[in-house]
Amino acid sequence: MSAPVFVTAAGISAELHQAMMEARGLALTAKNARALAVRAGSRTVGFRAITDFIEELASNIISQSRTINNHAEALSNTAVNAWRTEQAYRRLAAICASDANHKASVEPQAQRCGQQLDELQTELQQGLRYLLDQLEESRKHMRTANLIATSSNVEAATAGDFREQLQVIADNIRATADRIGGHLNQASRLLNRNHRERQSA
Amino acid sequence: MKATILYEDGDHRWIMFGRDPGTSDTIVDTNQYLIQSGDEAILLDPGGTELFAPMLSAVLKYVPAEQLTRLFASHQDPDIISSLGLWDQALDHATLYAPDIWEGFIRHFGMTRTRYHAIPDEGMSLTLGRITLQFVPAHYLHSPGNFHVWDAKAGILMSGNVGGTMEGKGAPIWVDDLDRHLPKMARFHQRWMPSEPAKQDWIRRVSGLGIKIMAPQHGSLLKGAQVDGFLRWFEQLKIGSAVGSSLR
Repeated sequence: MSAPVFVTAAGISAELHQAMMEARGLALTAKNARALAVRAGSRTVGFRAITDFIEELASNIISQSRTINNHAEALSNTAVNAWRTEQAYRRLAAICASDANHKASVEPQAQRCGQQLDELQTELQQGLRYLLDQLEESRKHMRTANLIATSSNVEAATAGDFREQLQVIADNIRATADRIGGHLNQASRLLNRNHRERQSA
Repeated sequence: MKATILYEDGDHRWIMFGRDPGTSDTIVDTNQYLIQSGDEAILLDPGGTELFAPMLSAVLKYVPAEQLTRLFASHQDPDIISSLGLWDQALDHATLYAPDIWEGFIRHFGMTRTRYHAIPDEGMSLTLGRITLQFVPAHYLHSPGNFHVWDAKAGILMSGNVGGTMEGKGAPIWVDDLDRHLPKMARFHQRWMPSEPAKQDWIRRVSGLGIKIMAPQHGSLLKGAQVDGFLRWFEQLKIGSAVGSSLR
């Protein structure tokens, strides 16, 4: 059985929450890198400049992850409402199709329920598309993260006595970026799988 | 949904969920608890339908759906388990542990895929990962079929309605001053709990457990000496207050 949309959306929200936590760690790494670069002086001017980019990147990832996380949570809520409305609609529609004596007395409710279901499903479709766009957008940050990690490695190599410490920071940036990328990929996989299952249903 | 880690020792964790800002003020605020050990997790009193979406999002931040294979309902009330029909769709191969006498009633909330494991009146133990939990009888406190959950390793008793207050979303997670807190508990216990013998029996049984944290389903949690303070107060409290309140 395919996972209901509300489970997929909650799963995406959880992945983005993890990405946000990782990005907070990245912001801390940037602060440590800056402090080290200041101590190291002129040999690490290049690295110091990179720390600005790391901080900006971390801030962007946090902000975007929060947006997607909130959106996914709201979408999960909409999906729950849609599921409940659908359950009610099915039952009312079955009564309307039966030979119950007073079935006409629930026809307006069935109609309203069907209309509400249409609205919720439209909202759900739009929400899923928006989520897909946002996740695609977040991939740009991953490309930036990889560039920064590579530049950090290059700058660390010329930092003399501070080379080893800066190398650790550069490796840390790459590892964190990889983990964030992993969470974003998993979120996209969940969304794409749900999309495929909905299309084939 | 606010998540608070109550206990953590390696892969053994207790997380409390509650104080959801998005929930309407017109429904009673509830505390939900997740216990994890190894690759297994159980959700205690998962909550009402209205709370399901924020709860699912919050829970998945800590545990993947495939590891959440157990649910527990202390009793049959809607704020405890009316979300069952939705969890039933969200979880594969889940088992609900709930009082034997409520099975036919709880199934009204909808369960087609979830297995119902009836807890006998005398209680039972459950192995979860590397720990063992006890489902402790708390019948008539307040429901006629009612269980609490005791984790001896963590020293935490999930005490259902006992020790609870109806304070709403603004309630702090922990009781700050027990003497100031007890009056807030009084009416809830006096009106909701019907049986003096059941109360005394429960106090006698839990007094020797060595409870470090008492985690109710409503309101703030008690810890350390506050637990003994509460038990002494509860022992003296006259309950079943609605008896005799019929029209004359």
